[in-house]
Amino acid sequence: MSIHIHHISKSFGSFQALKNVDLEVKTGELVALLGPSGSGKTTLLRIIAGLEFADAGEGSIQFHGTDVTNRSAYERKAGFVFQNYALFNHMTVAENIAFGLRVMPRAKRPDREDIDNSVTQLLRRIALEGYGDRYPSQLSGGQKQRVALARALAVGPQVLLLDEPFGALDAKVRKTLRKWLRQFHNETKVTTLFVTHDQDEAFELADRVVVLHEGDIQQIGSPQQLRDHPKNEFVADFLDCVMI
Amino acid sequence: MAAIIDIAPAHSSRPRKATSDSLAARVLIIGTAVGFMGLMFVLPLVVIFQEAFRKGWEGFIEAFDDRATMHAIWLTLKVAAITVPLNTLFGLAAAWCVSRFQFRGKRFLTSLIELPLWVSPVIAGMVYVLLFGAQGLFGPALKEHGIKIIFALPGIVLSTVFVTFTFVARILAPQMEAQGQAEEEAAMTLGANGFQMFWRVTLPKIKWGLLYGIILCNARSMGEFGAASVVSGHIRNKTNTVPLHIEVLYNEYQFVPAFAVASMLALLALVTLILKTLTTTRRGAA
Repeated sequence: MSIHIHHISKSFGSFQALKNVDLEVKTGELVALLGPSGSGKTTLLRIIAGLEFADAGEGSIQFHGTDVTNRSAYERKAGFVFQNYALFNHMTVAENIAFGLRVMPRAKRPDREDIDNSVTQLLRRIALEGYGDRYPSQLSGGQKQRVALARALAVGPQVLLLDEPFGALDAKVRKTLRKWLRQFHNETKVTTLFVTHDQDEAFELADRVVVLHEGDIQQIGSPQQLRDHPKNEFVADFLDCVMI
Repeated sequence: MAAIIDIAPAHSSRPRKATSDSLAARVLIIGTAVGFMGLMFVLPLVVIFQEAFRKGWEGFIEAFDDRATMHAIWLTLKVAAITVPLNTLFGLAAAWCVSRFQFRGKRFLTSLIELPLWVSPVIAGMVYVLLFGAQGLFGPALKEHGIKIIFALPGIVLSTVFVTFTFVARILAPQMEAQGQAEEEAAMTLGANGFQMFWRVTLPKIKWGLLYGIILCNARSMGEFGAASVVSGHIRNKTNTVPLHIEVLYNEYQFVPAFAVASMLALLALVTLILKTLTTTRRGAA
């Protein structure tokens, strides 16, 4: 599913977090939103998910040609993985993953057995077989992150939005998960957008990278393009100083 | 050799914390606290039960074999049965509002929630008399339609709602604020509607705090005296709640019945205390 973002602005009080942002993500693409903190990248991701609404005006968001600008988060059903996982702490890992299936309207809801099956499959996919009965507090950061991902994937979203997916993890786990995510995306081809402030992460994972600064898109391009032809001083600077 | 001798005493004495008090200070402080608690809280409680059972079990049971007493207990249960659910809903709504939204006048609303704590209950009662009483603002209009609020059940419920409004809201608001709403947002992106989100995600998170608030609200509403006293008019068999009835009995020198009924309220307080302790430890564990 493709995403079209057209003239989106967002202010919090007098602070303007996004200024007239335009962005197009093609079906099956893996795109990174890269920028320093406060650049508006998380806000943009939340607006796409429907967790935040853009300032009223001419801006619009389309999912595969359908205008979703005024639809609520639960109507959009974009798979969202939060920075601090936001797992349901009072539910087991299996219940967490099954949540999205269980809240479906009765007519669409799979029966119990099917839900159990998909949970088992997802647990295998994230290499956490046998962890279904544990509670989130009994998991490590990397495990929690994978559960959060499985929970988002359970409902078969057509868009996957990841907010600093590896931000709270140590360097080693990060590298493994990165590889895992890339592989996962190659298999499923779910349109994916992820937020990061880590240039290495963006360059290693993404098909295209969007560089944001102070609510403005500075440049969009493949990692190669950005490296070879940074469009302005900020992009060149930001990429350089992270590389050192 | 000399070095060893020098070090030895330092090792033999136990390490002392900079903040630890001397023995005398500790005895004085703990003694004062325990003594005060015993004198002010435990002793009166013992006296209540002692007086209630002055004529033994029979005298105690006899005290409840009385129409006015049973009526008062029944009325109090009715008031609590209406007040507590109402204030649970109000409290949840207020806590939700304060913890989830940013708006102008939020701080004002937050302090308004605490109003019942710093306004005397008598004033709360008076306000309702001024509003709904026969000479009150809406008095004539209400009389025209045959609605009786003051000196009747609605007035008692209204004033009790006012006095106990604060509990659920005050306990939940900081708790919900601290928990944030990431889990609720996650539920939404997974397709949960508002009700599912509340029922499956928010409620399990706040259930112990909510229960604590409900227990306190219930205890306070059953024990309410000041506001109820003003709006009820002390009509025996009609508008006398348990606390008011106790006063009537006491003023009529019926000490055993007075203390027997009072012991019910004391028992309620003890049960509340136990439940409170249980829910607080659960809240800590959760």
